[in-house]
Amino acid sequence: MTTTLQMVTINIDGKEIQTKTGSMVLEAAIEAGIYIPYLCYHPGMKPFAACRMCVVQEEVEVEVDRDGETVKEKQLRPAAASCTLPVREGMVIRSASDQLRSLQKGIMEMLISEHPHGCLTCHRVDLCGPEDICQRHVSVNDRCVTCPKNERCEFKDTVRFLGMDLNSQLSYEVRTPEIEVFDPFYDRDYNLCIVCGRCVRVCEEIRGDSAITFVERAGKALVGTSKGTSLLESGCEFCGACLDVCPVGALVERKHKWDKAEKIVRSTCSNCSVGCQLNLEVNKREKVIRAIPEINAPANRGQACYMGKFGLEYVNHKDRLKHPLIRRKGQLEKATWDEAIALVAEKFSNTKGTEFASIGSARNTNESAYMLQKFARVVMESNNVDIDSNTRPSLGKVLYDALGYAGSTNPIWDLKHSQCILVVDSNVTEEHNVLAVPIKQASKAGTAKLIVIDSREVELTRYADVWIKPRPSTTLILLAGILKFVIDQGLTDEKFVSQNTLGFDEMTKSLAEFTLENVETVTGVPKKHISDVATMFAGSNASSIVYALDNVETEGQHDQVAAMANLALVTGNIGKPSTGLYALRRGTNEQGATDLGCVPDMLPGYVDVQDASSRAPFEATWDCKLPAKPGLGIKEILKSARDGKIKSLFMLGGGDSYEGEDLLDSLANIDFLVVHDAFLSPAAQQADVVLPATTFADEDGTYTSLERRVQLLNKAILPPNVNAKPAWQLIVDLTKVMDVRGFEFQNTSEVFAEAASFAKDIYGGISHARLIKEAILTLRPDATFPQPTQLLESDRVSKGIQWPCGNDSQPSQEILYSDGFPNGKANLLPLKATTKPAVSSFEKPLVLVPGRILADDDRNVDVERIEFVNTVTRDELIKLHSTDARTLGLKHGDPVEVVTVSQTIQGKVHLDEDTHQGTVTVTQLFGQFATNLQQSEEPDPMAKISGLLIEPVNLKKL
Amino acid sequence: MTKAFQKLVEKSKAHLEQIQSKPRVRISIDLSGLAAGALDILNTFKDEVSANKLDVTISEVGGLGLNYAEPLVDIQNPGGPRVFYNNVTPDQVPSLVREHLIEGNPVLSGAMAVETRDPSLDIPTLTELPMMKGQVRIALRNAGHIDPSDILDYIAAGGYNGLNKGLFEMEPSAVQEEVAKSGLRGRGGAAFPTATKWRFLMGSPGPIKYILGNCEEGDPGAFNDKGILEGDPHTLLEGMILAGYATGASNGIVFIRHGHDTPIERTRKAIAQAYANNLLGENILGSDFSFDVEVSLVGESYVSGEETALMESIEGKRAMPRYRPPFPAAYGVWGKPSNINNIKTLAYVPEIVSRGGEWFTTIGTEKSKGTAILCLSGTIERPGMIEVPMGMTIREAVEKLGGGVPGGKPVKLLQTGGPLGGVLRGDKIDIPLDFDAMAAAGAILGSGGIIVGDDTVCAVDLARLLVAFCQYESCGKCFPCRLGTTHLLQILDRICDFKAQPGDLDLMRQLGNDMQVGSLCGHGQLGFNPIKSSIEYFPDEFAAVIEEKRWPTKNYFPDFFMPDRAKRNQQTETFSSLRRA
Repeated sequence: MTTTLQMVTINIDGKEIQTKTGSMVLEAAIEAGIYIPYLCYHPGMKPFAACRMCVVQEEVEVEVDRDGETVKEKQLRPAAASCTLPVREGMVIRSASDQLRSLQKGIMEMLISEHPHGCLTCHRVDLCGPEDICQRHVSVNDRCVTCPKNERCEFKDTVRFLGMDLNSQLSYEVRTPEIEVFDPFYDRDYNLCIVCGRCVRVCEEIRGDSAITFVERAGKALVGTSKGTSLLESGCEFCGACLDVCPVGALVERKHKWDKAEKIVRSTCSNCSVGCQLNLEVNKREKVIRAIPEINAPANRGQACYMGKFGLEYVNHKDRLKHPLIRRKGQLEKATWDEAIALVAEKFSNTKGTEFASIGSARNTNESAYMLQKFARVVMESNNVDIDSNTRPSLGKVLYDALGYAGSTNPIWDLKHSQCILVVDSNVTEEHNVLAVPIKQASKAGTAKLIVIDSREVELTRYADVWIKPRPSTTLILLAGILKFVIDQGLTDEKFVSQNTLGFDEMTKSLAEFTLENVETVTGVPKKHISDVATMFAGSNASSIVYALDNVETEGQHDQVAAMANLALVTGNIGKPSTGLYALRRGTNEQGATDLGCVPDMLPGYVDVQDASSRAPFEATWDCKLPAKPGLGIKEILKSARDGKIKSLFMLGGGDSYEGEDLLDSLANIDFLVVHDAFLSPAAQQADVVLPATTFADEDGTYTSLERRVQLLNKAILPPNVNAKPAWQLIVDLTKVMDVRGFEFQNTSEVFAEAASFAKDIYGGISHARLIKEAILTLRPDATFPQPTQLLESDRVSKGIQWPCGNDSQPSQEILYSDGFPNGKANLLPLKATTKPAVSSFEKPLVLVPGRILADDDRNVDVERIEFVNTVTRDELIKLHSTDARTLGLKHGDPVEVVTVSQTIQGKVHLDEDTHQGTVTVTQLFGQFATNLQQSEEPDPMAKISGLLIEPVNLKKL
Repeated sequence: MTKAFQKLVEKSKAHLEQIQSKPRVRISIDLSGLAAGALDILNTFKDEVSANKLDVTISEVGGLGLNYAEPLVDIQNPGGPRVFYNNVTPDQVPSLVREHLIEGNPVLSGAMAVETRDPSLDIPTLTELPMMKGQVRIALRNAGHIDPSDILDYIAAGGYNGLNKGLFEMEPSAVQEEVAKSGLRGRGGAAFPTATKWRFLMGSPGPIKYILGNCEEGDPGAFNDKGILEGDPHTLLEGMILAGYATGASNGIVFIRHGHDTPIERTRKAIAQAYANNLLGENILGSDFSFDVEVSLVGESYVSGEETALMESIEGKRAMPRYRPPFPAAYGVWGKPSNINNIKTLAYVPEIVSRGGEWFTTIGTEKSKGTAILCLSGTIERPGMIEVPMGMTIREAVEKLGGGVPGGKPVKLLQTGGPLGGVLRGDKIDIPLDFDAMAAAGAILGSGGIIVGDDTVCAVDLARLLVAFCQYESCGKCFPCRLGTTHLLQILDRICDFKAQPGDLDLMRQLGNDMQVGSLCGHGQLGFNPIKSSIEYFPDEFAAVIEEKRWPTKNYFPDFFMPDRAKRNQQTETFSSLRRA
């Protein structure tokens, strides 16, 4: 559907404004830089029309009778809220008449009468500290200077804008609800609330959660949870969206609550691969005190998540490594950079080739990742280079084989308009949180059917129209069954298949075994569900697939991605808006690192290391001979290390994103281990040389998000006393000592330029300069007097560039394959799988299928306040199939303990015939998870969140 | 007449004959009846009848509107006169059963009226009663006469005739035109022409469109919507189906406040019966037209009677008004085109369709056609519900029909159109019941409630009571209403505590003006009316309280009144426990 945007011209206070039809007068005014006070409106949300502050008057010409003569006269219509007043061609608006100002002041006066306001009109307010003696005898509770939002408060700005005098006859009566400080991450002080409803609306309308609501009514109306419960049980995902929209000090981050920002720096979040743009607020002691998601950023549209809002504290942590460490006589001792680098250079020089391996961090920038692989290949003559998160390379690689590019096909927010969304084996809400936002919006709006295929109960299963719960490790078989059903029933897009794909017959042949009957037997999913899902997916006009490979055995990963790519292809859901495949990469910059060759088998730009002719240009430029044999991937590196085959290992980061238990054991066998990390992580503690690393907040460079968007990191802080280097810089310094040419880079933009010159097809047109230049100036009101906080957001917003972008004039490519496939046609990949599960982990006695959801409406949740922290203390339901329970001699309600390698859960047996035989299902509350994160002693707990792992389990009766 | 309907009519005739062949006792079980103890009477009648092993039909009917006469019982033996007994007490019941039911002799001492003149009895006819004289009953034509839980009773009384005519003899547009011709205006308060409103909905596309019947009726002093649903729910259903037919709507929702048990029960029963007789559902009476109706309940919130808040409530959300545009005809319940009419408005439709719009215009004034359904309460001789032609003066309605203030004292003030309507000074009582004339006098006809106050009522205290209601019932969404009403109440409180501050009246005017200009919906826009009109009409009383610090009248509410939810629920429970199967 294409909509032609028509423009209309309206006149506000004498200024002609061009604006889109369908927008409201307030929006038009904001765009044009005219400030109309508002408190409940917030860009990106539907108008609410509650505060009535944005009133304007329309000037109309009417015919009036003057002494028998009809004359045209200009009249002002009654005041109307401009947030809900649609624009019309030729409209004339007055926004600053005395009548309007009087109404606005009247409303503000009423608000002030129940809001602490001692400092609002004081001329000294900017000079005054919270503990100063106030000459006006304003009590402490009444002072703006004790409010965490002081000088960020939209309410105060409005008071100043209107020039209120505060000699009100209205009686001053503040509410006195207790301040809520026991839930994780943020405080709620409803004494300061003006009941604008932004938080309630953002939670419901944007996030789809409805964790908070209006309570009471009339003069008592406030915001709270529906039953007065803690946020742990109300369905809160701690995304912080309510904080970001709160105009007053009612909702604030607990950490650095009263800190004042000295500067605001926009950067890209380091905690997952969605690529959220955050405005990092930095105080004068060079600490990142808050992260406010950028409302105009295309990837996150003003949204963030618990990791982005509350998981960045690690950059300020006191335990940041401040100087290099060298192991001497078994002890790590302080050293200078020169000493450390000299030692590393010397040791590395002796272990070139396959004895050397390097592991990059998923949080490394594109520049660092490029430098690492170049260092490994050129200097160390080894292809043993990989990213710590890259344990499932098939995720993107199969897309490369099938379609031509190893990346998600469509932008994140395309999902909002998808008509059918298939989510496979991924916990989107927890691991790629903001990507779940458009999914939930589409599902809530009823415009999309949401199908979730996962053995685990995750948050999206609560939104799903259909939740398919196959036996663990059988998703591939289920997908193959769906694919076969689609083909057998003729639900394919024949025209698309014949024009755009190769290998249809062979692929179809490989599916012979996957009849509905067979699939039902193996997966435990009823035939009807399989056929329903297939029909639903193939029958919609625009279907998307969102997938990760959580809990998929290595052997089945390739085929599982292939099955999904095939499904998208045969139904024609590629190359069009709101269709396609979303590969949820686990590591933050896994996409960029892979693009730029930080993998064992590909050189930058997906050039096969084994292909001599493709290798040639690299060898020419780098003036070296490149190893032709693919190196070891992360898992193999660690395995070889355990076997003693790796002598020296260069590791960026502490392996935080590596999902597996074998990391530390493997590192113990390395002769010479160099770890470049921001903290003395367990990996670093085993190292021979530890080099302090910068974090995303104190370096610059670029990340490439899972939607192929290359975005800038900007150096926000300069942590005092921390003598750290970004990885690319370290490699520059190291190679200088090793006397190797070709690494003489001055800055990241030079590194990027070289990387882009190799990965020409996809990065060729991208440069730091272009990313900066193409930022869009988002005009906000001309804030000459005074400067309302609402306007602080106005800035240049970089939209990033989505690859492939081959040259300077090529625009960002939102949707891949809209003009066909790079190799002419897409490949339908035959599956090698059979209906026998790759590894039948469910044949082990019992496996634990853990789940985690935001709210559990059906169960009572006990929340206890333990040492000022709300904690979920409920008996978990240990769901078992009755057959298993019989075998184990357990009855419904028996107290049991579930013991796995990583955790122990106590609870009560709950017989449930929907649970597959051989599995134990436990669904916990996200609230408890949030509490644990908040209480964690780790400097960077959010980096180590492991997915919900299906693991073997022992059940013990208590 | 279609075959299907013919069959129903015949069935209903047979049903009526069968009922008339036996003695029949009708007891009005409606809000006022229940309050007056009608359930006791009903139970006692049942006990007596079974003790005497009599074959008697005991019907629970809606009220005639004669609230002063409740509990009201009428008894009719086959062939005998139908005698109305007023203010029946349980100990009267045995003698009524013995003498009237068994022996066939009406008990003259307790009888108030007969239905048709009987020369042998010296009792006035029903229409001769002062409160019935001058009434023109259209929407209330069946209330108190038919059994509301018996669809055949309604059909026997001519019910669903209009529907039959509309569906089979008229095009949808013709139904709409007939309503246009009748000049019917909305009875919910705004008096908007009903046919025009329907036309907006007709113009909206879509297979799913809604007709909403609004019986939120949270006004103190208004009970006519509930009265219609209690007395004659099928007339509403018929009106709704016709509205649906005229506008091409597919669904109807009757929106009733939770706790109004009798109207809810009877409406639900009526809907079930209508479905059972193919008057609702697929292909009504064999026509091409299909229509579904359901009941939606709302919690205790006055504002949910506001049309957009009502839609939010139906959708299961907190009842807070939406902004407009988009208007309901374009974006209503669940985003589908919707049309909201008051119960009274829809109740007129069957008669308008079956008797023609022309007929309706013969009743009423030039711009206000038809009748006004009024609820009289306060210090009045005969409280109750009356239906009188538009154009009658308020004096006639209050003094002639309602009997005026007890003891012949003058009317000091009137509170019309719900709490937001403000108060009207007694000397304005001669204005006619006419939307425009009343608006000109600064009052609204609104939902039709008229609360009469005598000289003991204090205007200041009454204003405080009304503002307290507005404050308590504000939904809390828009700032001017949420905060404005709260401050108005605070100021009135301090005035009533004799602690007025200088300039308080001006302060209230300022707040009131901000509310009127700034509020999102009518609640806030009109929320200052009670004070504004009180100050205008009774400046002396305000002066007395504010300056002289004394009460101008003897009678005021010493304990500040606030709706007490707990108590009310208790009361409802008591009613339900009294009821026997």
